[in-house]
Amino acid sequence: MKSWTRREFGCLTGAMVLAGLGPRSAAGEASARVVVVGGGIGGATAAKYLAASARTIEVTLVEPKPDYTTCFFSNLYLAGLCSLESLTHGYETLAHRYGINVIHDFVTAIDPIAKTVGLRSGRILPYDRVVVAPGIAFNYDALAGYDEAATQVIPHAWNAGPQTQLLRRQLESMEDGGVFVLVAPPNPFRCPPAPYERASLVAYYFKQHKPRSRILILDAKDSFNSQDLFLDAWERHYPGMIEWLPAQFTGGIKAVDLRERSVKTASDTFKAAVANVIPPQMAGQLAQQIGLVDQSGWCPVDPITFESKLQPGIHVVGDAASAGDMPKSAFVANSQAKACAFAIVEALTGSERVSPHLFNTCYTFLSPDDAVSNAVSFKPAAGTIKIIDNFVSQVQESAETRHRAAREAQSWYAAFTRDTFG
Amino acid sequence: MIAVSIAAGSLIIFADRSQAADRDGGAQLAAMCASCHRLDGGDGGIPTILGMSPEMLTRAMLAYRSRERPSHIMRAIALSLSDEEIATVARYLAALNRQVRP
Repeated sequence: MKSWTRREFGCLTGAMVLAGLGPRSAAGEASARVVVVGGGIGGATAAKYLAASARTIEVTLVEPKPDYTTCFFSNLYLAGLCSLESLTHGYETLAHRYGINVIHDFVTAIDPIAKTVGLRSGRILPYDRVVVAPGIAFNYDALAGYDEAATQVIPHAWNAGPQTQLLRRQLESMEDGGVFVLVAPPNPFRCPPAPYERASLVAYYFKQHKPRSRILILDAKDSFNSQDLFLDAWERHYPGMIEWLPAQFTGGIKAVDLRERSVKTASDTFKAAVANVIPPQMAGQLAQQIGLVDQSGWCPVDPITFESKLQPGIHVVGDAASAGDMPKSAFVANSQAKACAFAIVEALTGSERVSPHLFNTCYTFLSPDDAVSNAVSFKPAAGTIKIIDNFVSQVQESAETRHRAAREAQSWYAAFTRDTFG
Repeated sequence: MIAVSIAAGSLIIFADRSQAADRDGGAQLAAMCASCHRLDGGDGGIPTILGMSPEMLTRAMLAYRSRERPSHIMRAIALSLSDEEIATVARYLAALNRQVRP
């Protein structure tokens, strides 16, 4: 028998925490196959917890990109407060520590009758269960003058990576005194407080480097998430710098003019030095292609197992899922993925499962040392998922409380990305 | 005699199964903690909960639940878990060795 050095033992501890789950058998006796499609937060978390929970399940993760850049915290990058590399995570640990078969390829089809996933390379992966986590797609039909090609001139920067870099470069080369126009999307969309966090952190950047510049938010809505907290912070940190125009004021957003770099509303045309258009959203393209989407544009799911209500044997987690009161956030994707993984382990191995506890937590930066948090618990009820408790930061909080939340947010990022990718 | 050994046998099976259920349940509940607390013993700002005594962890959870200790997140979690679930996850986490992963 091999004797473990202390360091090797330490390496294994994280995996052992999870290996405590589920029935044990010798490695190599895999009897069930799960394919996870999509390596964002939902997909990566599901793959990890499936692989770690039952050694009898062989887990394959299919993701086209070699690594994943988190959209959460990317507003800090836009403000020049962190690098994009620090937000980028690879799949090596999932492959090496948890034995997940990571394949970098595109899924072209899923056949729910034959139970196979087809890849662009021609490979066919048979499955007992499949988890689909395709994230969001943009509904370009909804906004005249803005399509995929237009994103190279006016970025959405709502999937982190090259789009976020493009927006950062434009902000850097903008002259002092320019107007940054941010178009905020209609509900539901990925990460409800994020457009307003983006306005806050770009304002912070302007305040340091381009103090005569202004930010104009053209909103498809009449109100937004944590509005009182943002309005208070904008008054305190960036007085006169951020203007928010709701749909009831502008009559709604009508079109984008690429050449003029302007946004037309029903009442006016707003010219931008830098524009950031966040389009209306729907479930990722693959979900639409394989019939997981209803008329809402999102994927209806069972509130306990996250199995599709439209295609049996296919589970959907993360932003693409339509899961009652649960918003589209990274924390929600991680929380759903665990509940889904344990339900699949139960279905495939007969092990016991505790009733799911579902949560959301958001940390939102108003300035680098002023952050707020909220925490929500959910429960499956009456065929959907309902909010049980909701705790949010208050306007009157002390500077010290806010500073503490900002520090806690940084620690949370490290722990959370480790929970997902490591 | 036969009846007695069957009874003893089923007791042992029952004890095994309930231990396994406790371990599975504890690990599933601990997975929820892992979204914020590193379960490898590392700290990095959010304090570790590995190796805490079950009594200490239970006391902390009840303090969050009653608002005696402030935290949005911990309050939502403490309210969501039953007393029995808190005991299960506290036992599970206490049993894990505190080891820092490099």
